[in-house]
Amino acid sequence: MSTGQAGQKWARHRLEIPARVLLAIGGGYALSAALVLAVAAALPPMTGLARGEAVVLAAMLGFLLYLGLLLWAFAPVRLRRVALWLGGVPALAWGWILWVVPSAFS
Amino acid sequence: MNTTFRQSMQGLHTWAGVLLGSLLFVIFWMGSLSVFDREIDRWMMPATRLAAPPAALALDRTVLPAAEQLVGRDATQWSVNLPTERAPMLLLRWREGDVRHVHHVDPASGAVLAEAGTLGGTGFIFPFHFRLHLKWMDLGYWLVGLAAMSMLVLLVSGVVMHRKIFREFFTFRPAKRLPRASLDLHNLAGVLALPFHFLITLSGLLIFIGIYFPASHWGAYGQDSKAKDAYTAEANGRFTRPKLGEPGSLASLDRMVAQAESHWAGERANYLRVWHPRDAASYVEVRRSYANEVTMNVDQVYFDAASGVELRRFEAAPVKNVQRFFTGLHFIQFDHWSLRWLYFLAGLSGCVMIATGFLFWLESRRARHARHGLAGVRVVQALTVGSVTGTIAATFAFFIANRLLGASATLGSWDRAGTEMAVFYAVWVGCFVHAALVARREPSLGWRQQCMAVAVLALVAVAANGLTTGGHLLNTLSSGRPSDAAVAGVDLLLLVSAALAAWTARRLARSPSPAPSRITPARRAGLGELA
Repeated sequence: MSTGQAGQKWARHRLEIPARVLLAIGGGYALSAALVLAVAAALPPMTGLARGEAVVLAAMLGFLLYLGLLLWAFAPVRLRRVALWLGGVPALAWGWILWVVPSAFS
Repeated sequence: MNTTFRQSMQGLHTWAGVLLGSLLFVIFWMGSLSVFDREIDRWMMPATRLAAPPAALALDRTVLPAAEQLVGRDATQWSVNLPTERAPMLLLRWREGDVRHVHHVDPASGAVLAEAGTLGGTGFIFPFHFRLHLKWMDLGYWLVGLAAMSMLVLLVSGVVMHRKIFREFFTFRPAKRLPRASLDLHNLAGVLALPFHFLITLSGLLIFIGIYFPASHWGAYGQDSKAKDAYTAEANGRFTRPKLGEPGSLASLDRMVAQAESHWAGERANYLRVWHPRDAASYVEVRRSYANEVTMNVDQVYFDAASGVELRRFEAAPVKNVQRFFTGLHFIQFDHWSLRWLYFLAGLSGCVMIATGFLFWLESRRARHARHGLAGVRVVQALTVGSVTGTIAATFAFFIANRLLGASATLGSWDRAGTEMAVFYAVWVGCFVHAALVARREPSLGWRQQCMAVAVLALVAVAANGLTTGGHLLNTLSSGRPSDAAVAGVDLLLLVSAALAAWTARRLARSPSPAPSRITPARRAGLGELA
């Protein structure tokens, strides 16, 4: 269980912290990677930046986005919202990337 | 939800620190040593303690004969790293199947030096830092990546948790009780070098965008392997052409290097690679040195091997250059001695920050865990002592093994290099076992005994170098050769480590944790305020 007075009021049930850890590390990574992919695809047509450059730029920013998501997952935000944005949304995004997008290139 | 953001960041900082701290210490320790990895190489590979390399290299006279004689028929490529002041030999490398071959060649005479028989700083300590020598499914890379992201989280949450961060620049009360003194030192080490800690961690991640975001090109290029090749060629350069299967020759390397350097406005080459050796379709890749700039440039020129005709030139585009600038910021391959020392000291301050963070957590939780019969403090104590003083002790034992084992020493199927690594891991595991065994006794006993072991090992290492190579401090400090200065530097740092370890052992002996019965409720509340 969390140490200190802060932990006792913040996590309402025993599984909340492991849930947040999984959502933060796994879901945060999945969401960051999906957004990197999307931004790298969108930048060239939108700004004329070369494709290789766009990929490098998006990947670099991806780490900062991941950091923000990791911090947000442990902020005083309801678990439900964390589960939506770091669980549901990345699952949908990767489902789309893996099953819908390849048909656009073939 | 009645927790403030600061309080939640405080809890996050504590948990992330306790769980990832050991791994982070090892990464910071190996990383700090890697700043001087080439100096450690000079210490561990006495045959490479050469004079400074000649300004004019004669590659055709020194490299071609060695390559022709040594490189196996099955090699698909061989490469040469050109000598520098810090690494004054030619490094000839190739791979046949899974086996990697490495040979050192004297750049002045072309003589092939004796086999090093060790991985050294560049081969053991540096790769430990970024992949932990865990190759299975790139597990090492991913653990280091996780640790790096945790470090960024720890730094941000650490800043958020402090009410008076500027005061911490000026607060260190070493004479106080251990929890207060270690918290002071933890804050000081963190705040003084905060920009370094953040940038070194972020830049470390940025080096590996290809590993940590492997699907990043999928949206822009597609998801198949041809898409990946297209992305690599556009962003990183890389010229390829298939083998012909017919014999071919190799023209003058010196002329190719001169032509490549003519494109680079006076900058030198630092690396050559011959693809498809001895084939008619063989080609030579020449890369530019980054000794004079932060950016680890990826400038490349390709030549047809038989004729020396230039095939392709590549320079990175601006955004890629930014990524390579951050890469160079982390790698510090550029020539700058004062910055190099600052990096080393800042890295060690990171080690101090991590170790004192653990010390503080252990000392401030010890009474409560003892009262409630919790095992947490004992387990973390054993893991911490093993990973902090144990890592340092194992490293110094690695150095001693390098000096004391004969060149042909073997242990089972391991050659000398493998045996040195076995010594490292054996001492490391031994330190964890020792820490676990003494954890039940007086709390600082494990720390103190391992600190004394570190001090003794450091002194033995210095003595071993002097006795087995003749390169002891009286000789190396007066010789004037850069490689001898490197050896002297390692010896001096070992001596300083011995002194610091001995001082730490005495300081820890002077300030035992308060016994449980003397913690009154008022004092307990006071200690809790510190957390």
